[in-house]
Amino acid sequence: MKKHLTTICSLSIISAVVAILLAATNHITAPIIKAQENEAAFAALTEVFPDGEGFEQIDISKYKLPSTITEAHSEKSGGYVFKIETVGYDSGFVIMFGIDANGTITGTKCIKSKETHDAKNTYGKTLTGKTKDTIDSVDTISGSTKTTAAYKNAAKDAINASIILGGGTVDLRDEAQILNDNLSAALPDGESKFTSLFITEELDGVSAVYKADNGKGYVFISGENFIATDANGEVVSDVDDELKLSISDSAKQIILSEIKEIDISRYEDMPKQVVKAYKTTSGNYVFDLNAAGFGINGDAYYNPSGEYIMIKVSATAEGKIIMCETISQKESNGIGDVCAKPEFYSQFNGKEETNYREIDAISGATITTNGYKTAVSKVFEAIKILKGDG
Amino acid sequence: MSNKNSNLSILLKGLLLENPVFVLILGTCPTLATSKTIIDALGMGLAATAVLICSNMVISLIRRFIPDTVRIPCYIVIIAGFVTVVEMFIHAYLPSLYEALGVYLPLITVNCIILGRAEMFASKNTVFKSALDGVGMGLGFTLALLSIATIREVIGAGTFAGIEIPVLVDFKIKFLQETPGGFLVYGIMIAVVYKLTHGKAPKKTKFGCESCPSFAVCGGVKCDNTAKEAK
Repeated sequence: MKKHLTTICSLSIISAVVAILLAATNHITAPIIKAQENEAAFAALTEVFPDGEGFEQIDISKYKLPSTITEAHSEKSGGYVFKIETVGYDSGFVIMFGIDANGTITGTKCIKSKETHDAKNTYGKTLTGKTKDTIDSVDTISGSTKTTAAYKNAAKDAINASIILGGGTVDLRDEAQILNDNLSAALPDGESKFTSLFITEELDGVSAVYKADNGKGYVFISGENFIATDANGEVVSDVDDELKLSISDSAKQIILSEIKEIDISRYEDMPKQVVKAYKTTSGNYVFDLNAAGFGINGDAYYNPSGEYIMIKVSATAEGKIIMCETISQKESNGIGDVCAKPEFYSQFNGKEETNYREIDAISGATITTNGYKTAVSKVFEAIKILKGDG
Repeated sequence: MSNKNSNLSILLKGLLLENPVFVLILGTCPTLATSKTIIDALGMGLAATAVLICSNMVISLIRRFIPDTVRIPCYIVIIAGFVTVVEMFIHAYLPSLYEALGVYLPLITVNCIILGRAEMFASKNTVFKSALDGVGMGLGFTLALLSIATIREVIGAGTFAGIEIPVLVDFKIKFLQETPGGFLVYGIMIAVVYKLTHGKAPKKTKFGCESCPSFAVCGGVKCDNTAKEAK
């Protein structure tokens, strides 16, 4: 028993003496370490806010800021520094943004990233001096679309956060949320569930049509307006008579339109890109196309997916494209996959054989763009064949 | 006179004849990890030396009060305490070295050299002799780190303590800055030291307890005790 007590006491006394020694050392070094950390933090903040004179950390839990903001500091002159965590090409990365009192970016610094492209280090510099209105004018870096897009979005989040902290209001909803909210506001009976319709008819001034999933009606987007109709095509939104008549006419065309598949095997000269063809009751055509982009023609070094880009195109019998949409694709991540974005494929809407080439190519994805354009061009050829004058 | 010679022998044996890195092959992990640059190697060596001297002295001072059954936990607590103290001071006054040494600084706690000297020397000798042993072994460790780091930095990075060497910087062999390069230099240095101390460094002619490099100090007492306890 005595032996055990001696053992316990010895170890306890040694531990206690060591603890006292550590406490004394900590008492001496802790203020110095703290001062150093503050100095390092200040240096990091002044790097993105060079004219900053003093910073104070803000408790971000008190504000409804963009979710990417993980840290915020206010600067004496009314500016802010934000630490943002976002996702780039294939990994998360952390960026610091300085925003002055006028909402202009004073500096950026990527402090953590596993992105492979050098854009993580260089792109931030191109954003310095930009504001919320001019940030989209900064060119995307070819081959680094996702990284640069993430940078831009992070910069927008930082500017939005500075507006909120400055007492202003900002719409923090993403584009999909804003669209759905607008659709729901136009047609509350739709219960916030809408599906985009592939337009096969030429509709006057209508850029997109959504159908309520519960069948209660349609919403037509015409310019800035969201105009709702009931299931029978009668306009229920409060708009002027001219627009009401136009939308009602469009709705009836949509409702009455039926499409019938054409047996393309009967046409020997039908381009191989045309997988299926349909004709509407109004005489327009719809095509399912296979585009040989990078997935088919890509360099083996980059491991192409081996899959075609699937495209759906509707066009008038006169050869004018009504709507073009990418159905599926497996192009290169962050490069060729831009072909799946409406910003790219909607460029073909309204184009004819004489001007379909005038679309903006996808940066860094020449093979994808050329394959896509070639497939869409076959629509004009196919229409001629189907009409018998090809 | 004999006592003076004995003290000098304790002090000097760690430098070459019983160098902890090149002869006893202890502390290999921090040696390879912190020998990329001379500054890091010097920092690690001096930090380990400070801990070694302090822990050796304290363990020697209280060796009679430490029960044999809990001697290793006691040594660890004392060593960990000194390591934390050194770590705090380096963090406070040499932040760049603190960043450079990283995890290897707290890992001095489990450095075989320090625990080994506590068990084999400090627990059986006077405070003065233990301090001399700490200085000798610490300097031996530091010299070993510096010699490896000098080769790795000068040839591998073309710099000396961060200062570029005009011609070498254009013909650097980057491989030496990597871990395999560290092993290669380490192996060569062991061979060189063996050659230099041929016939003088402890030879492994026997196996078991007697083959231990510290047998001369320990005399096999601990092994005898362990064997008796086992029986």
